[in-house]
Amino acid sequence: MIRNSIRLIPTALTSCLLGLSFASTAAFAGNGDTLKAVQDRGSLLCSGHNGSFPPFVQVTDDNKWSGYDIDYCRAMAVAIFGTDEKLKVVPISWAQRFPSLQSGDVDIIIKATGWTMGRDTELGIQFSRPYFVGATQIMMPKELGSTAAETLEGGSLCANAGTSTERLAANFFKSAGIEIEMITFEKSEETREAYFAGRCDSLVGWGPNLAVTRQSAENPDDHVMMDTALALEPESAAMRQGDDNWVDIANWMFAATWIAEANGITSANVDEMKANPADSTVEKLLGVSPGIGERLGLSDDWAYNVIKQVGNSAEIFDRNIGDGSVYKLERGLNALWSDGGVIVPMILD
Amino acid sequence: MSATSIQAPPPKGFFTRLRESLFSTPVDCVVTLLCAIFFATIIYKIVDWAFLSSIWTAEDEPLCRDASGACWSVIDARHRIIFFGLFPFEEHWRSTLACIVMIATIVLSCVPWFWSAIKLSALWVLGFGVFYILMHGGVFGLSVITPERWGGLALTIFIFAAVSIFGMPLSILLALGRRSELPVIAKLFGLFIDFFRSLPLLTILFTAAIITPFILPGWLQGDKLYRVIAGFAIFFACYQAENIRAGLQAIPSGQDEAGLTLGLNYWQRITRIQLPQAFRNSLPAIVNQFVITFKETSIVTIVGFFEILASGAAAYGTGKWTVHYIEVYVFIGVIYFLFVFSLSRYGAYLEKKLRVGHG
Amino acid sequence: MGSFLRNRKFREIVFQAFVLSAVAALLVAMVMSTRASLEAQSLTTGFGFLERSTGWDFSFSVLPYSISDTYKKTMLIGILNTLLLGFLGIFLATLVGILVGLVRTSKNTLFAMLGTVYVETFRNVPLILQALFWYSVVAHLPKPRAAISLADTVFLSGRGVYFPVLNIAIWSVAIMLILFIAWLFFLPWLRNKMNYSASFYAIKKVGWVLLPIIFIAIGYFARIPETPLVDMPALKGLNFRGGMRMPPELSALVIAIALYGGAYIGEVVRAGLMSVPKGQIEAGFVNGLKSRHIFTRIRLPLAIRAVLPSLTNQYVQLMKATTIGLVVGFSDFFMIISTSINQSGQTLELLAILMGGFLLINLSVAFVMNSINNKIAIKGYEVKS
Repeated sequence: MIRNSIRLIPTALTSCLLGLSFASTAAFAGNGDTLKAVQDRGSLLCSGHNGSFPPFVQVTDDNKWSGYDIDYCRAMAVAIFGTDEKLKVVPISWAQRFPSLQSGDVDIIIKATGWTMGRDTELGIQFSRPYFVGATQIMMPKELGSTAAETLEGGSLCANAGTSTERLAANFFKSAGIEIEMITFEKSEETREAYFAGRCDSLVGWGPNLAVTRQSAENPDDHVMMDTALALEPESAAMRQGDDNWVDIANWMFAATWIAEANGITSANVDEMKANPADSTVEKLLGVSPGIGERLGLSDDWAYNVIKQVGNSAEIFDRNIGDGSVYKLERGLNALWSDGGVIVPMILD
Repeated sequence: MSATSIQAPPPKGFFTRLRESLFSTPVDCVVTLLCAIFFATIIYKIVDWAFLSSIWTAEDEPLCRDASGACWSVIDARHRIIFFGLFPFEEHWRSTLACIVMIATIVLSCVPWFWSAIKLSALWVLGFGVFYILMHGGVFGLSVITPERWGGLALTIFIFAAVSIFGMPLSILLALGRRSELPVIAKLFGLFIDFFRSLPLLTILFTAAIITPFILPGWLQGDKLYRVIAGFAIFFACYQAENIRAGLQAIPSGQDEAGLTLGLNYWQRITRIQLPQAFRNSLPAIVNQFVITFKETSIVTIVGFFEILASGAAAYGTGKWTVHYIEVYVFIGVIYFLFVFSLSRYGAYLEKKLRVGHG
Repeated sequence: MGSFLRNRKFREIVFQAFVLSAVAALLVAMVMSTRASLEAQSLTTGFGFLERSTGWDFSFSVLPYSISDTYKKTMLIGILNTLLLGFLGIFLATLVGILVGLVRTSKNTLFAMLGTVYVETFRNVPLILQALFWYSVVAHLPKPRAAISLADTVFLSGRGVYFPVLNIAIWSVAIMLILFIAWLFFLPWLRNKMNYSASFYAIKKVGWVLLPIIFIAIGYFARIPETPLVDMPALKGLNFRGGMRMPPELSALVIAIALYGGAYIGEVVRAGLMSVPKGQIEAGFVNGLKSRHIFTRIRLPLAIRAVLPSLTNQYVQLMKATTIGLVVGFSDFFMIISTSINQSGQTLELLAILMGGFLLINLSVAFVMNSINNKIAIKGYEVKS
């Protein structure tokens, strides 16, 4: 029927046109200058979560994103635009982190992402310097009286079965020559309940998760962390490969919060510091003497803005994970080297 | 249980009927009694947990540890996250209004008065337009709120509405294409429909979210939300097309021939004769597909959207509320149940009514 | 030339050729566009990664595995996990469905209402939510020490369901299964060959007696040496040793799919039961059949024949529904693929494998069900549901 065919002509034509349009090379997000793309778009797309992952990503009572990772997303937006109003947090699931980055749905992933060789080499992504070190830690009741590993001699330890934490804990106590009974569970909820029920003397897990577990205890203050961490996973921001300046911006954004902390600059006293800089590092950091912005393609006061609006690394930690939050986690290794941590700020010259 | 009466029973009084259906044999009496006990226990347990021994306000949260019932404090404190996701706090009235408009659109399209192609399309385009303007803003002095901040119930409803409004016309096109008299066209459409029908929805959503950016040129990509909605709409259309095709096949060929003799052209016959009857024939199946689609919107949480299930997870996902996830899931279950149950009851009502109409 | 254009047949052929080439052009363009964007991202393509070892762990496997297994084997495990989940879920859903169908067609209104409440509750809440719910229930079962014991052989605990298994080699189970299926196919063939003669029934009887004896013999030879024949789960220390364990993730999903699918299948069965013409049942009465026999010989067979197409549809739907295993951490095919994408970055290849896998699974389910349908169908007798 000719009329049958007529009604399909528009469809056919559109599909043909569509086909032709493909022939032009795909304008693909990612190859090229991310900073320029972000500035042209007028917004920074940073990773969120579908749900929550406290204390890194969660939602406040008045419907705003908050958390440790979100604060660094904000810092990134402030560094680029001078305000976090232009930050867009895109909810993505764990499984979609890297594909979302490749497809340009996000510009940067700051989402408790461990730096592994496979991801670094095979996924076409590039990592910033680690901004958080997640330790595998052991939690025990305060009433044991000490936070040393020897306290647990002859005791028992609850762990999640088949995880790296279980293996790490077994190795740790074996090499330390401490006798301990391992009790493993399939589900972390179960492990937690066994610990709170007093079935084991201690509980092993990834630091931040342990913090949340501690928070759900009847009295969180009754539980403390063992002073030695068993193993560390460095968490880094992930970006698309091949845009060195963009990686530089992320690295120096993190560094700015560390340098500020090392020099005692906080969001409260930053204006004062800017007016009377103590030394040349502070001068450069706060843009009193030029250089810090231009070399990254940003304005000279970007670090000042970050510290003013988001705060230094101590403030960010305290607000989300430390004493200023409900989790009250020790800063431990995430402190600056001068306070016994592993964070070493780069040198600002 | 298996015995069937042979002649139609004469009309009986209420109590006679009750006795006959509940206490006709000793076994029946026992079964009835057991059922009654079962129902009573279940209802008591639920009422006790949800109402009698429960804690209601956010301030009373400390009492939850000792309460045997539900701790609704989490809903009291965090219901705005469940309903609105990350929508700005001050603009919640817009999200609320948008949801009401969309629900009204859905309810109105169940009214037979609206059952003509023009009225239905006008209603949905209007409803959807108002919804979109309220949510997105940018006109009439409303501030712009981009889709990555939409969430909760509003996003669930938006995905459902968008899938329906784009999927329905597509499904008609697909159904007509598959019934084309040109063999190549019919085969192509058949292949397309069967391909999408044999894949799980999650696979299609996953592909739409993360693969299409590799396949489509940059200017065609759009936001992830719209890509996923497009994938969902195609999936929906392939199912709905088969329902419509079943309806088309049930039309006696004489109808179309009568149209031909009256000198109607192809489009007139399609729109005036075939489609209205096809819709009438398969209305229950079509409504059922909407019911399924509403439930399936929950799957988009896996591809990283902040719809009601994800926002529920965010609602209990803070140090304070993490132990009260059961209450949040029950609350979301009830919301889904209200929507899906009323839609499916409506479908059952239509089925009954149409069956009567057919004699 | 003009007459050519006016020829309807000619125009139709030209038009179809045009559409076909447009579709082909579209596909080619998509491939080219994909290649360009992959190059722009400097991503490697190809299926070479299938031979690499994965290096990551997952929650459940039907085959023994280690983290140094290749991607290829991990994919296979994913498919087997999905099949296991699908078959367990579908099997139980069918049982639940038949039960619900019967309850709903009961004459006792209160009893029938039980079925209605069940169907309306489980059909109107998304499967994902039900899976999450059952998962939290299963995970909160008592700890192994306080496990709920069913006759001291099956134990329910928060760490999983433990039940006894036979200590025999896996190949012997496969042989038994093949033998059994071959026997089932052999019977109807023989029946037609021998034309329902008495000797056929004799062979059939002997066969049914011989089969278990053969199985026991195979099982005896295939025993794993130096172990007891039956491996009973027993509490040793804090957990069970021995027996077979069904992890909570799998149990939760099987329960969710069985109950959700059961509600749908229940409706299908009900429609089937109601479609059985009254005359057939009355004929049964007249012939003096007991009501039990009227059900098993008349109502159920007729109902099943009537609803097989709808049932096939439900089975395919349930098979597809297994993909939500991801939300409770069950390592089904989809979750394995999703993790692989995250770990290896071979997004396109892995999604192609995923689609191919599901096409294969679903087409097989539909093929098996349709063959059964063609075998037993009564022409012109079918209900839609």
